[in-house]
Amino acid sequence: MAQRSTETASSPWAVVALDKFCTPEHTQKSQWRRSRRTMLTWLTGKRAAEQQAKEEHELRLLPEVKLAHLVPNIDWSPVADRLAQALREQEVANEPVVFFITPPYGGHAAVISHWAKQQSVRCLMAPTHQELTEGSLDWVERCGHLDRWALPALERHMLRHTQGLQGVREFLERALSGRLGRGVIGCDSWTYAYLQQAVGIEGAPAFTLQGMEGKQLADYFASIAYNGQNGLTVYSTRTGRQVLTSQPSAQKVAQEAERKASTHKELQRLAAHCRGHLGVAWHYWRKRLREPAQQDDPDASELWLLDALADAELPADTGDVALLVLHALLLHGGLEDQALGDVLPFSHHEALNARLALARQGILSREDGRWQVAALSYASVRQLLASRNYLVDPL
Amino acid sequence: MDDQKQYARLFNDMDSQTFITLGIILASVILLIIASQRGLNWLANRLHGQVRFRIFALVPLTRLLILLTALAIAVPIVIEPSLRNMVTLLGAIGLAIGFALKDYVSSLIAGVVSAIELPYRPGDWVDIEGTYGEVKHVGMRTVEIQTPDDDLVAMPHLKLWDSAVYNANNGGTSLQCVANFYLHPEHEADGVRKALRDVALTSAYLKFDQPIIVVAEEKPWGTHYRIRAYPVDPRQQFLFITDLTVRGKQVLSRAGIKPALLPPDAALDTPKGVPDIHRRR
Repeated sequence: MAQRSTETASSPWAVVALDKFCTPEHTQKSQWRRSRRTMLTWLTGKRAAEQQAKEEHELRLLPEVKLAHLVPNIDWSPVADRLAQALREQEVANEPVVFFITPPYGGHAAVISHWAKQQSVRCLMAPTHQELTEGSLDWVERCGHLDRWALPALERHMLRHTQGLQGVREFLERALSGRLGRGVIGCDSWTYAYLQQAVGIEGAPAFTLQGMEGKQLADYFASIAYNGQNGLTVYSTRTGRQVLTSQPSAQKVAQEAERKASTHKELQRLAAHCRGHLGVAWHYWRKRLREPAQQDDPDASELWLLDALADAELPADTGDVALLVLHALLLHGGLEDQALGDVLPFSHHEALNARLALARQGILSREDGRWQVAALSYASVRQLLASRNYLVDPL
Repeated sequence: MDDQKQYARLFNDMDSQTFITLGIILASVILLIIASQRGLNWLANRLHGQVRFRIFALVPLTRLLILLTALAIAVPIVIEPSLRNMVTLLGAIGLAIGFALKDYVSSLIAGVVSAIELPYRPGDWVDIEGTYGEVKHVGMRTVEIQTPDDDLVAMPHLKLWDSAVYNANNGGTSLQCVANFYLHPEHEADGVRKALRDVALTSAYLKFDQPIIVVAEEKPWGTHYRIRAYPVDPRQQFLFITDLTVRGKQVLSRAGIKPALLPPDAALDTPKGVPDIHRRR
């Protein structure tokens, strides 16, 4: 995977061909740092504590209301605009199927839904769990032939199961041959990697959101806090240095300082840790922002960012059962307990026990009734799966 | 009288200081070997993938290096290391080995060869003379193999000279597994081939960077199908085969395909000379 330099960073919302995706600068360094930390934790039996400029007990969680203003949900509609532009520019108008791939929390379903709304294109419905487990092709028949169509989340159309593959194989065969009309498919990067092997979708154009650098993350977080209107200054608890400022007066000073010294180092570290994925970085930003416990002025905007690496990480000696659960969840973009039991080679009871243990450790979180790898654990889970030779996503 | 002087010159003067030095060298060698072997095994057992095998491969090599270093230090203390002395000493040792300790020393030498040629190393799955299992420890004289039945078999390195060593993963993480299906001759073979391939593709244990092959072979009693595929980790081989077999049977049964029924006096033919590892897998 290529890495690019900060200097060449471009627009925060760049939609690029899948093979043009680059991880941010220092991604490899971030992985080594994580490995070293895991090794130290494993050898010493306790979490290796790094020197902190500000101790965590001096800080407190932000109230939900304040957090909602500081870090509102990501609006994916600009990405839909970029995707539409990319589809026009890349001359893929005649392709029967175009994929838009993002990693977990990358927002592909929202982007495709926005795109479909903008283009007045019909979204195809996902099959039911029963249809998937029975290998029914009814949902494929329901798709019919449309001039243009969109499918927001392909991971909802398959199960890693002999029956669960039948429908998606038939659907992709029809879609790739153009029998369904022209469509845009949103797909989780892990599901895409699996379907490439299991079904074979080589040759269909695939786009993704380019990985973000620290500078782009800084710009993005500054712009969403109070819609970019109010002042915001964030310091790192690790270094005590300023990570971000959106105060108009201070911004100029910061820009000046940026030329002299390398700022955004902490956010570059975060970008590298998250492999440039905005969705994952957004969760870090939202969950690791703190304010001073003793704050005299309630309107003061001084905030602190906890160290990105001190998150819920898997121990290096994690067993096979836990890894199989994590891998299954990633390949399906999250699963309910019933479906999880269907795709694992052990009983539902064992699968549930493993899932409960991971949820207790904070490695899993529940979103829309589905269990998935928590955003703050994603980087370490991906690295661990790669180190154990499991199939990993291309992003 | 002259002969006595000549033999006396072979060895250096041995005083108490020399014995203490030799004792310290011996104790250090024992301690270093124990520490390096336990340490490296401990570390490798906590790692996964290729790194695990690389560290395992260091175990016998480290021991060999420690022994050679100790010999290089100890020999000049005991004897005057001239050509004549060395020839005399080696001749005497050779004579003793030839008569009394031939097999023992042959195993030791084969142990040195195994540390250099690496026909097996800890973590490998090997079959030596019908004993199949994971190499747990490569000692000086024997290699310890843990069988799937949890027996620990100590196999002398001596076997290296005249026995075939079947190494299923050869220091890597790729180990081919075979799941067998024996089906009634009346069925739609192409459908079975695709279904069995899907069974492998949907296994949680499957390693994707290796091929999946479904082999069909016609027999007088029916059709013998084999799924050849690789698990993510060699240690998952039995779980992987079980998963393929259980789900394969489910899929075939759902498709209404009957298993082959052998006549009571028929036995499955296994070619002679094929080791147990291949029959089992």
